[in-house]
Amino acid sequence: MNGADFTLGADGVDAARIVEEIRQAVERKRAQGLYSDPAVVRAERWNMAAMQDDDAFLDAYLESLRESVVVDINDFDIVERRTAMAPLLRRLKRTIWELLKFYTYRLWSQQNTVNGLLLAGIENSERASRRRIAALEARVAALEARNGTTPCQPPTA
Amino acid sequence: MPTAHRVAFVCPRIAEGTTVGGAETLIKALAVQAKSAGRDVVFLTTCARNHVTWANELPPGERLVDGIKVIAFPVNADRDASLFLRLQDRLGRGRRLSQREEDAWLRNNVRSDALSAYLAANSDSLDCVVAGPYLFGVVHQAVDAFPGRATVLPCLHDEPFAHMRVARELFGKARGFIFNSEPERDLAAGLFDMAARPQDVVGIGIDPRPPADPAAFAARRGITTPYVIYSGRREPLKGTPLLLDYFATYRRRTGRELAMVLTGSGAVDIPGSAKGSVHDVGFLGEAEKNEAMAGAVAFCHASVNESLGIVLLEAWINGTPALVHAGGAVLRHQCRASNGGMWFRNYPEFEAMLARLLDDRALRNAMGTAGRNYVLSKYSWSAVRERLLAALDR
Repeated sequence: MNGADFTLGADGVDAARIVEEIRQAVERKRAQGLYSDPAVVRAERWNMAAMQDDDAFLDAYLESLRESVVVDINDFDIVERRTAMAPLLRRLKRTIWELLKFYTYRLWSQQNTVNGLLLAGIENSERASRRRIAALEARVAALEARNGTTPCQPPTA
Repeated sequence: MPTAHRVAFVCPRIAEGTTVGGAETLIKALAVQAKSAGRDVVFLTTCARNHVTWANELPPGERLVDGIKVIAFPVNADRDASLFLRLQDRLGRGRRLSQREEDAWLRNNVRSDALSAYLAANSDSLDCVVAGPYLFGVVHQAVDAFPGRATVLPCLHDEPFAHMRVARELFGKARGFIFNSEPERDLAAGLFDMAARPQDVVGIGIDPRPPADPAAFAARRGITTPYVIYSGRREPLKGTPLLLDYFATYRRRTGRELAMVLTGSGAVDIPGSAKGSVHDVGFLGEAEKNEAMAGAVAFCHASVNESLGIVLLEAWINGTPALVHAGGAVLRHQCRASNGGMWFRNYPEFEAMLARLLDDRALRNAMGTAGRNYVLSKYSWSAVRERLLAALDR
C-alpha cells in the first residue's frame, strides 16, 4: 500500500527501462522452465485474443500449446484419506481406473497423436514463415541501402 | 484565429443521475468547460436513458443540466431495434456486413430526425458542432446536417465498427476531429484519410485533490492483506476475466496473501480458488472510490480497447501505480509517458511486475507520484480547456 511516505515530485523512475528489465528476467526464468506450469497455460486462455496483434503472440501461443498438448494418460498414485475401509476403497478406485484406462486408452492416445501432429505442423509452418520473412527483410534492407532510402521502422509494443 | 462562440455538442445521451458512460461523461464535461469559458453552449441529445432499449423516457424539450442548456429530442420510433441488434451482434463477433447490411445498421441505429431537423434549421446560427461517439446514428445525422463544418469526437477503439464503410464515410465528411489520446489519433490515422483537417487531442480533466487516506478503505471493509484494484465495467471487452484468472494464478503459484477489490458494475465469474480474496464492492461513491484506489498496491487494467483511461487517471491522482495490458495502445502509452505504471504481455510478465510492485515500496511510491504529476500537468481542467478551445476555434 502507498502508506504515509507518499512524496510529491519524486522523479528518476523510468518505466520503460524497468519493463524491459523485467521482460529479460522473465525470459531467463522461462528458459529455466519456471513457467512450465499448466496453471500458467490455463491463465492465458483469455489472453490469446488480446495478444493477436503482438509480435510475441505466436511465441506465447506455441509455448502454451507445447505445455498442454499431451493428455496425461499415465497411471497415478491412488490414495484414500478416509481411514475406515481405506484398503477396500483404494482397491475399488484402482479397479475403476483400470477399467477407464482400458476403454479410453485408444481414444486418448489417438488424441495425443493428433495433438502432436498439429503442433509439429504449426511449428514447422511458423519456422518456414520466419525464414521467408527474414530473407525478405534482408532483401528490403539491401534495396533500401542501395537506393539510399530511410528504413521503415516496425511498431514496438 | 476566429472564435467559435455558439457551439452545439451532440451526444446520444447526457451523463445525469444514474445515466453514466465514459463518452457521455466526457462530452458533457467538455460542454461545461466551453460554457465556463464564456461560449454560448447548447447540448443536443435524445430522450433516452437506457443504452440498450433507447426508449424515450425523458420529456422532449429544453432544461438546464450543470449550467448548460440541454435540448432533448425523441429517438425515431420507426427503427427496427431487433434488426439493429442482430447486425450489431454480428459485427461484435467480428463478422463483416454487406453494403446493404451496413446501411440497414445505420438506418436502424439510434437516430433522431427531430434533432437533425433542429440542427439543419439552426446551422446558420451555430459556429461549431461537436458530435460523438462515432458509432451512433445521431452523430452521423449531425455531421450530415452541418455539412463540412462538424467536428467529430469519435472515442475510437480498434473494433469491428471502426472498419465499416459508414465509419469511413463519417470521417470523410467531418471538418475536424477531437481525440482523447495520441494513440487514438494514430489509430484513426491508420484507418481513415484525415489529411489536411484539424486533429486535436483534448482528453478530460481530473479535479486536483490530495491523495485520499490509504488505510481508510481496507479498515472499513475489513481487508487485512495488501490488495490490487480494478474499477469500471466488468466484462470480457474490459479484460476482467483475464485479470481474475491472472490474479487467481498469481495467488496459487506464489502462495502470497493478496486480495483484489473490484468496483463498478457488471457480473463477474470469480475463479473458485480466488473466492474469498476477491472483494466485489459494486458501485462506490467518489470519496470511497478514491480511498480504495489510494490504498491499493496497484490499479490493474487488462483492457485492450480504451480511447482514454479515465479510471487510470483517477488511480494516479490518488498516487497509485498501474499495471496494464500491453495490448492496449492507450493505457500503455499513458504508462510509458507518465512513468506511472508497467505493461504486461502475458501471465509471466504480470506475475513478475506485480511481485516487483509488492516488494519494492520505493518504486511503488515513485511510480504513483509520477502518475499523479502526469495527471496534474496534462489533465488539469485548465490544460484541457485550453486544448478544447483551440480545437473549437481552429
